Amino acid sequence: MDNENNTTMNGTDDRHESAATAPAAESAPAAQNAAPKLPIEKLSARQLLELDACTRCGECSNWCPAYDQDNREPLTPRGRATQFRDIIRRQYGAFSAESFLGKLLGKKQVSAQELSGFAKDLYACSTCMQCHFVCPVAIDTVELWERIRECIVDTGFGPLPTQQDLVLKTKNYDNPWGQPRSSRARWGKVAKKKKRINEVPKDISKDKADVLYFVGCTASYDTNVEEVGINTVNIFEAAGVDYGILGNKEKCCGSVLLRMGDAASFKRICTENIEQFNALGASTLVTSCAGCLKTIKEDYARHGKLNFEIKHTLEYVIDLIKAGRLKLTQPLNMKVTYHDPCHLGRHAGIFDAPRELLSLIPGIEFVEMERNRENSRCCGAGGGLKSGYPDMQNQISQKRVKDAVQTGATELVSGCPFCYQGLQIGIQAMDAPIKMRDITELVCMAMGLAPATHEDTEDAEE
Amino acid sequence: MGETTRMYLYFEATAALYTVTVIAVLLCIAGILTTLALWRQGKARSLHRTLNSAAVARSFITDVVFQAQILKISFVRWLMHFCIFIGFMGLLAQTSLMAFISHFSAPESFLAQSFFHGGGSRVLDVWGDVFGLTMLFGLAIAIIRRYVVRTRQLETIAKDTTSLVLLTAIGLSGFICEAFRLMDPQYADVAWYSFAGMTLSQLLQAAGIGAASYTAWVWSHAVISFIFIAFIPFSKAWHIFVSPIEIVLDASERA
Repeated sequence: MDNENNTTMNGTDDRHESAATAPAAESAPAAQNAAPKLPIEKLSARQLLELDACTRCGECSNWCPAYDQDNREPLTPRGRATQFRDIIRRQYGAFSAESFLGKLLGKKQVSAQELSGFAKDLYACSTCMQCHFVCPVAIDTVELWERIRECIVDTGFGPLPTQQDLVLKTKNYDNPWGQPRSSRARWGKVAKKKKRINEVPKDISKDKADVLYFVGCTASYDTNVEEVGINTVNIFEAAGVDYGILGNKEKCCGSVLLRMGDAASFKRICTENIEQFNALGASTLVTSCAGCLKTIKEDYARHGKLNFEIKHTLEYVIDLIKAGRLKLTQPLNMKVTYHDPCHLGRHAGIFDAPRELLSLIPGIEFVEMERNRENSRCCGAGGGLKSGYPDMQNQISQKRVKDAVQTGATELVSGCPFCYQGLQIGIQAMDAPIKMRDITELVCMAMGLAPATHEDTEDAEE
Repeated sequence: MGETTRMYLYFEATAALYTVTVIAVLLCIAGILTTLALWRQGKARSLHRTLNSAAVARSFITDVVFQAQILKISFVRWLMHFCIFIGFMGLLAQTSLMAFISHFSAPESFLAQSFFHGGGSRVLDVWGDVFGLTMLFGLAIAIIRRYVVRTRQLETIAKDTTSLVLLTAIGLSGFICEAFRLMDPQYADVAWYSFAGMTLSQLLQAAGIGAASYTAWVWSHAVISFIFIAFIPFSKAWHIFVSPIEIVLDASERA
């Protein structure tokens, strides 16, 4: 059944789930009661081994953006692993609190209050994966946190109430912003009306195309970053790319569900998306969002076979330039620094492509921030941190913006609408003398096209 | 004294020592089994790709044996960790070899004759001192970092202290045992192969301490070592065996 047919006046549908019935940290069992057993079968044997493999060297604490803002040991990956190991050892095995040996050793049952506290700290993480890259044991930390979150969600202690809203909206509206499905493709129509694009992108489900442009929820719904989609469309049009979008049939990639620990809902959306994508017959899926790229490329592959290639817009633009279909001729005369989105860099391993693309733009003076590539500082927006701990995200973002300002660059460029949003928060809070730009904006400018900018969007709204 | 009549170790393995050994090893095995049973409760997929043998081998050499990933972070931390790791592994190999020869090979066999009466015992002398000193040097750095300098990133819980204390006690008591053993005149002509043990032996003798407490020290050394062994699956030392597994698996997954 078409999703739109299910949609009611307020945008909800028959799959709507009430917040009251959803798991919640706040509505968790009474504080002093024994906590329910965590379903550790959701973890792999390797992940349970990883808890023992942590040497407690604390290198992660030197890099963790959350711990940098709130110096509490439970926020460090080391603290989290130690605490979770202790919890499951008290719930399972020969030395559990209920066992003879456990009672002999005076092991205490895990209380609901303790588990609730653990859950709150567990969600104070942007899943930036920095801890994996600095861990001498190379523990696959983010995978571990996500599986632990799954256990926490199953027992009703997560996600946090503000994050729960995001999860519910994604489940009910197929986007985390709670916007109706029928307005997903509105950005294209508005852009056409304002003459910011020549044509509304075609619906690939009706008219086949070689490239599926997966716009993503943030660029589709957030008017502050809709220029990402507009610029990408203008680049594709100029290069004569045979592309299309899913329009109102596009659904969230499900990243937010997976990161929050709602694996069952993720599986549902992932399966539906794989089926929908594969049926299109496109050779390539292009997305401008680092989070969508990571999710579709890495996480979907674990749930089904994809019959197309997946590329980030900036990788695809490089291909177009190399094929002679795009020419960057206009010198920009800008001093630019680049922020590696966590999901594009550390998660998907794409570090060289954005730098290569920037090097192909004439007139750009490129400067690296002190922390770049594998050690790039996170903007704090991912993993539910922005919704769960907005103040912390703001501080983390400001720190990253400070890194950028220190380079003397006038432009802070990235390749992710979510990072764009996240860093913009820092720029505004600091009133920093640097401008946030998506990399597609610079490409448009170098092509001699009038790029859509954040200011254009604001003017259009006025 | 001739090599054939001199016994490398003159502390005889008694029934009591065997009993304690068996208890310690059984506790260790039980601990390992309970841990494995816990791991087996994890039902999700552990690996998403086929094991890449080349990546595993490469990572084992660079990251497990040489610990290049720690060297990239800090030379002092690498030196500390490498010394403890290599020292511990060297002593474990030496003790295992000695235990194997004394329990599983006939007294007339080449191994027993060579290592307990012949030139092989000189190898054991040097081996024990070199690896023992290496481990103690690493432990000294660890203790200074954790308790004197109080490096910011280190957060100490009982587990961290227990392993450090036990390992240091094993290392020091081992040298004290060696020092007392070398006070026996039968080792006079070969004592300096145990250069560190002999230095300590001379210092103790200069301080008027004789070898009377040798047996007590050997027992102390043995008991501390057995506590450490029994405690391995529950202690920080467990990572010595577990962390390499994660290091090579991750290398394979990302290859």
